[in-house]
Amino acid sequence: MIIDGTQEYSVNMGPQHPSTHGVFRMVVHLDGEVVTNVEPKIGYLHRGLEKMAESRTYNQFVPYTDRLDYLAGPHNSLGYVQAVEKLMGIEVPERAEYLRVIFAELGRVASHLFMIASGSLDICGWTPWSYCTRDRERILDLFEMTAGNRMTLNYFRIGGVSHDVPDEFMPALKSFLDDMPEMIEEYYGIFFGNEIAQSRMKSVGILPKELAENLLITGANLRASGVQYDVRKAEPYGIYNRFNFNVPVLYGCDTYDRHFIRLLEIQESRKILQQALRDIPEGPVVAKVPKVIKPQVGKVYHRVENPKGEMGWYIVSNGTTKPARVRIRTGAFVNVQMLPAIVTGWKIQDLVTIFASMDLVLGEVDK
Amino acid sequence: MFGNGLIKGLRITLKRFYGPNLTEYYPEVKPNLPPRTRSSMALEPEKCISCGLCVNICPNQVINLTSEKDGNNKRVLKTYHMNIGRCLLCGLCTQSCPTGALRLSQEFENAVYHREELLWDMIARSKRSNKPSGEEG
Repeated sequence: MIIDGTQEYSVNMGPQHPSTHGVFRMVVHLDGEVVTNVEPKIGYLHRGLEKMAESRTYNQFVPYTDRLDYLAGPHNSLGYVQAVEKLMGIEVPERAEYLRVIFAELGRVASHLFMIASGSLDICGWTPWSYCTRDRERILDLFEMTAGNRMTLNYFRIGGVSHDVPDEFMPALKSFLDDMPEMIEEYYGIFFGNEIAQSRMKSVGILPKELAENLLITGANLRASGVQYDVRKAEPYGIYNRFNFNVPVLYGCDTYDRHFIRLLEIQESRKILQQALRDIPEGPVVAKVPKVIKPQVGKVYHRVENPKGEMGWYIVSNGTTKPARVRIRTGAFVNVQMLPAIVTGWKIQDLVTIFASMDLVLGEVDK
Repeated sequence: MFGNGLIKGLRITLKRFYGPNLTEYYPEVKPNLPPRTRSSMALEPEKCISCGLCVNICPNQVINLTSEKDGNNKRVLKTYHMNIGRCLLCGLCTQSCPTGALRLSQEFENAVYHREELLWDMIARSKRSNKPSGEEG
């Protein structure tokens, strides 16, 4: 049968599509190969983490926090343990604070490297993928020698960290930081300076500043749209106010800038890591906290700058060993809503690139 | 000039192409894992005092142990099972163990064919691993 004219066509992309970075399903409405609308469908990785927190003690929930944004485990745990410490008024030893910053920033570098790697893979650039993951591997080795695991560390504890770092950690970290400028130059040469990559990404998927602000986009995606906002500067948590670093901001609002800002953030994280390595004192790594964590009745909200966006922990305590309610505000979950707004009118190949530039992790979206 | 970036990228690739090899020959050469790596569990039953701290601290109810009293009214470990399919390998149990009977080990080839095989009898496993042949079961 021959149909006169054309009609809109809806296809499912995901949940097993390789470019969806996990189990994310998009219902794509197409006119030919032009995307007219996208409906994000989430929930395939929903594990009920908020409910799990309510059925476990405060200490027992720490291993689960790493599984939210599994590419940058330490920063999720940092938000949780700092929220509980805020609720109980626990002072953390100096060395533990520095170790927390070192791990959180290493996690950020690892997450951004992986984002650049997978972003290049989504436009069929295989070589940058292997280069970025090669360098990420060195960070995961640092994690493994200290905490015992590569991605789900379970390193932070309420009141400090679980172990001190082994002797070989600091020299290995220093040599990694020394090698970083060469790595960054390499990524620029092989991916960001490449004309094919640029033509695929520049001026594609524009997220204007007003729209980004209205949709409550946070993290690097917001900063690539010309808004200089970072929780580490706006409301410093832990000891972040002691470090001298800049918040990079780009005004292109396109896919290229959303990738490139990650590279700039890696450079800023390097500055923080160098200062932390220089200033870290000797001393205990965990405060004297009661064996049974039992905060007084009350509630607390604490927010941190996760690599994927702003992460908030709202904890309500009813005075028992288990929290009465835990609510997790994750950056990636809120950032999903920018997808239909920025992808409309682009071709289906661009949808893959634009989606990669949003840097979603489905563990954080579905919780 | 258009194409400069491509040539620069190819130069980097060529430089790395003739550089040292970074990959590991995994099944032939086993990786040397750091001593803190958490990839498996091991129990020394003679050290265990059946206090049950590991059972209480586990966030996922992985551990199931039973004990009985001997002639001196002292608790002795009878059975110790771990449902390792539920285990997060978070290490909270080993940290809480007062005698160091339960520890994390670096054996990482834990894949099995059937779900039932994930229910580990830790006492039997410790006997097997003490055998001189060192055959893992």
